[in-house]
Amino acid sequence: MRSPFYFSPYLRSLPATGARGKILANPEMKRRRLLQATAASVALSLVPLRNARATPEEMVEAIKQAFGERSIQEGKVQLDLPKLAENGNVVPVTISVDSPMTPKDHVTAIHLFSEKNPLPNIVEFRLGPHNGKARVATRIRLAETQKVVAVASLSDGSLWSSTVEVVTTITGCG
Amino acid sequence: MGAKVKVPERAKKGEIIEIRALAVHPMETGFRHDNVGRKVPRHIVESFTCHYAGSEVFYAKLHPAIAANPYFVFHTIATTPGELVFTWKDDRGEVITERAHMEVT
Amino acid sequence: MNDIINPDRRSFVIRSSALTGALVVGMPGWGEALAAHHEGVEVTHWIVIHPDDSIVIRIARSELGQGSFTGLAMLVAEELQCDWNKVRPEYADVTDHIRRNRIFGAMTTGGSRAIRDSQEYLRKAGASAREMLVAAAAKQWGVSAAECSVANGVIAHQASNRSTTFGKVAEAASKLEIPKEPKLKDPKDWTLIGTSPPRFDIPEKTTGKQIFAADVRLPGIVHASIRQCPVFGGKLKSFDESKISGRRGFKKVVAAEDWVAVVADNWWRANEALKALPIEWDDGGNGKVSSESIMQFLRTGIDATDVPVARKDGDAAQALAGAAKTFEAEYYAPFLNHATMEPQTATALIKVDGVEVWVGTQNGESTIAAASEAAGVPLENVIVHKMHAGGGFGRRVLFNEFTKQAVRIAQAMPGTPVRLQWSREEDMQQGRYRPVALVKLKAGLDKDNRWVAWHVRQSEQSVATAILPQLVKNGVDTIGTRVFSDNPYDVPNFTDEYAMRNTHVPVGPWRAVAHTMNPLFREGFIDEICQAIKADPYQFRRPLLAKKAKDLGVLDAVAKAADWGKAMPQGVYRGIALSDAYGSYTAAVVDLSVDDSQVNVKRVYVALDSGYIVHRDAVIAQIESGVVWALGSAMLEETTIKDGRAEQSNFSDYPVLRLAHMPEVVPVIVPSGGFWGGVGEPPLSAVIPALANAIFAATGKRLRSMPFKNHGFSYS
Repeated sequence: MRSPFYFSPYLRSLPATGARGKILANPEMKRRRLLQATAASVALSLVPLRNARATPEEMVEAIKQAFGERSIQEGKVQLDLPKLAENGNVVPVTISVDSPMTPKDHVTAIHLFSEKNPLPNIVEFRLGPHNGKARVATRIRLAETQKVVAVASLSDGSLWSSTVEVVTTITGCG
Repeated sequence: MGAKVKVPERAKKGEIIEIRALAVHPMETGFRHDNVGRKVPRHIVESFTCHYAGSEVFYAKLHPAIAANPYFVFHTIATTPGELVFTWKDDRGEVITERAHMEVT
Repeated sequence: MNDIINPDRRSFVIRSSALTGALVVGMPGWGEALAAHHEGVEVTHWIVIHPDDSIVIRIARSELGQGSFTGLAMLVAEELQCDWNKVRPEYADVTDHIRRNRIFGAMTTGGSRAIRDSQEYLRKAGASAREMLVAAAAKQWGVSAAECSVANGVIAHQASNRSTTFGKVAEAASKLEIPKEPKLKDPKDWTLIGTSPPRFDIPEKTTGKQIFAADVRLPGIVHASIRQCPVFGGKLKSFDESKISGRRGFKKVVAAEDWVAVVADNWWRANEALKALPIEWDDGGNGKVSSESIMQFLRTGIDATDVPVARKDGDAAQALAGAAKTFEAEYYAPFLNHATMEPQTATALIKVDGVEVWVGTQNGESTIAAASEAAGVPLENVIVHKMHAGGGFGRRVLFNEFTKQAVRIAQAMPGTPVRLQWSREEDMQQGRYRPVALVKLKAGLDKDNRWVAWHVRQSEQSVATAILPQLVKNGVDTIGTRVFSDNPYDVPNFTDEYAMRNTHVPVGPWRAVAHTMNPLFREGFIDEICQAIKADPYQFRRPLLAKKAKDLGVLDAVAKAADWGKAMPQGVYRGIALSDAYGSYTAAVVDLSVDDSQVNVKRVYVALDSGYIVHRDAVIAQIESGVVWALGSAMLEETTIKDGRAEQSNFSDYPVLRLAHMPEVVPVIVPSGGFWGGVGEPPLSAVIPALANAIFAATGKRLRSMPFKNHGFSYS
């Protein structure tokens, strides 16, 4: 017999923190899926390099190696990563690209890059209209707190990206 | 190296199905050191491919940042009944293959 | 923070303020009390102000007894200029922090970093809120903010003789934009920082009211005790539940790859049942490792010919060959257990779509990540109740196995809170030990007794490999080489080599880490040189520190406070040592007498230069506790290995310093200002070698290995 804790109403009665101003007693709290929640996306336009955001050189180089001087726009890509990873050894990641995946309009490849791993390339996927859905999941290693960048190339030659920062909690004790 | 795959036993023609594949492999990065401080040499799976009814439907190029026991989830449109062949190749030339059959109606 | 109400010791209710949004276990009449409590306004995420002018300051780091709950609040309050008597700190809710994109910054409490890493943004947090409150008042009055003054939570406009309080303008202030670069006070204008207001955590700890994770009791709670494979790294083979399932209070056995736990209606019954449970382990191959075999393994690091170099100045080998006098010595330090007064404990509750944990943790983010991964739920579905920890010392900063175990056991009984507590034996024998170390030092002096050559070969287990692998560079553990690689003495030819020798024994950061043993090796060795050439150890060091003003300053300060060089009373001897650690500088003098190998430590002087200090009494307490740790670990503590497992299992065979042996401590706070150095760990680092040097002065016996009890000494 399940204890009353299991169906805890308390989970739902969490106040709407996350807002400044008056704190109300027992409001409804919306739970938002991680997918929609976050990702600071960075425009990775390499020609010329806009955005003063500091990305370590090797990752920028690796991206340049992969895509030459073509410009990369923010959008279409949903990069699903946890905000915190305990030690970064096994971090689940899902990349989804908003695409009809038709012969005329589909994702041809998805690349994942790391800002602070010993090597900037994580994985490259090759896709096509036969996939039906541009959605891939895997598990990656992150050496320390850093940004992960996903770049999708589309059949029309355009490039789209999303960036998420993952904090590894193991750091910060030395 | 062993491997495990999850493919639906049957699907409707045109249905987008989800496939999961896992290979047992240490994915030794080459950046770790042993207990006396010496570098442990790299040993990783470098590529993973899925062929369906003879054509490639998925390909991944792996780098050391893919976690041990590389795991992938991807999709494909069910077309004809047939065999799915999964191939992992590592940097020492070792190859593992796994097969699954899918009925398509 | 959870406000823990404890009407009687047996059962209590965790009442949560809405600010943290945690579990509320109902008791009649709570609803109204809660409603009243919820009236605060969040002016910024750091500061909530109530209509009655009381202020809640949110704390991101952890209180471990080191005073951060108070010190961090002081940093905010100094700039906020509220009425300090109306301030109450609360832990920032970890789930809220995640939802708001880590708005409270780092939560890790280790590396002596809580104050020095937070001070700037916390002071800015206070200053921003103050500016917003003043702006709100000024706006209400139709005057310019520059014409208003603030003190003690009261905002006044002299010219029109009007005033108001923070509580009254909090809501209006909360609607204003947060200033990005508020004006901070000049340190010379501080009125709170540097003083010693009563600490928030002390009264309840003194009266016994303080609830720790081990004290958590919730309706329906069950208790678990756990056994992990005694040989580190081994696996569980089998167990026979039938032998204990009939016992009174027995609920369940839960097992995983390398542990087995018994759940019962109270912890004593769970632990007794666990002791009676037949268990078979697969020791994983390390069942023959012993302290002796480990010593042989370390020796290979001393004897190896090709070993990575951590630092190289000049040519030590050549200078040694040409030296007029040479010295050589080998030093050793054993594994140490953290021996936190509260054993590792976590309570977990599995709910429909999430998990709730109660943990004394040094890092709320690490706990929420571990609980999320163990339960397989998103971070936002995890509630973490951060409890004041019954000692941290590095044991609870990044090792989350007890949290994950509690979650795993709770998954076997969803809806029931499960309190897992490691027995003292488990805690002693499944530690994350201070690594073992064997170090060989060689020194060469020229004909004028100037120290010209120095060679150090370290053979040690690497702690960075276990906790921060990116700090291992080319086989060198850059944490383990501290004290040598960053040594301040001006020796023209100096080489430090590091031979990593990792055993199967799990290691972790033990308060001060490399500074728990390397200072003994270095400062004890320097003392040996001084003794051989009949040089005064204080005077010998001074010229070598000519280019290091802060090191020299703190050495001079302790020598002055101790009146080094004066005639000592009959039978009283002294030793001196220097160390710098975690951004601070420290030196110590130990005065003691020895009677038939019984050491009576009379007085310990500790000089500490940590730049700015926040809570003066807390700094003194850290110095005093540093003395406790130094005296205890140097003389009494060691974890030895036999048959692949830790031998010591309780305070009976792992003794720590007792009250009766506590000497008088003379803290010498060197107020150099101008920087922010750590305080938690530095104070113990110079005391250990000063103790060893004093015992030598008293007995002629040079102590090159710890614990000193193995040389026949004890405290009297």
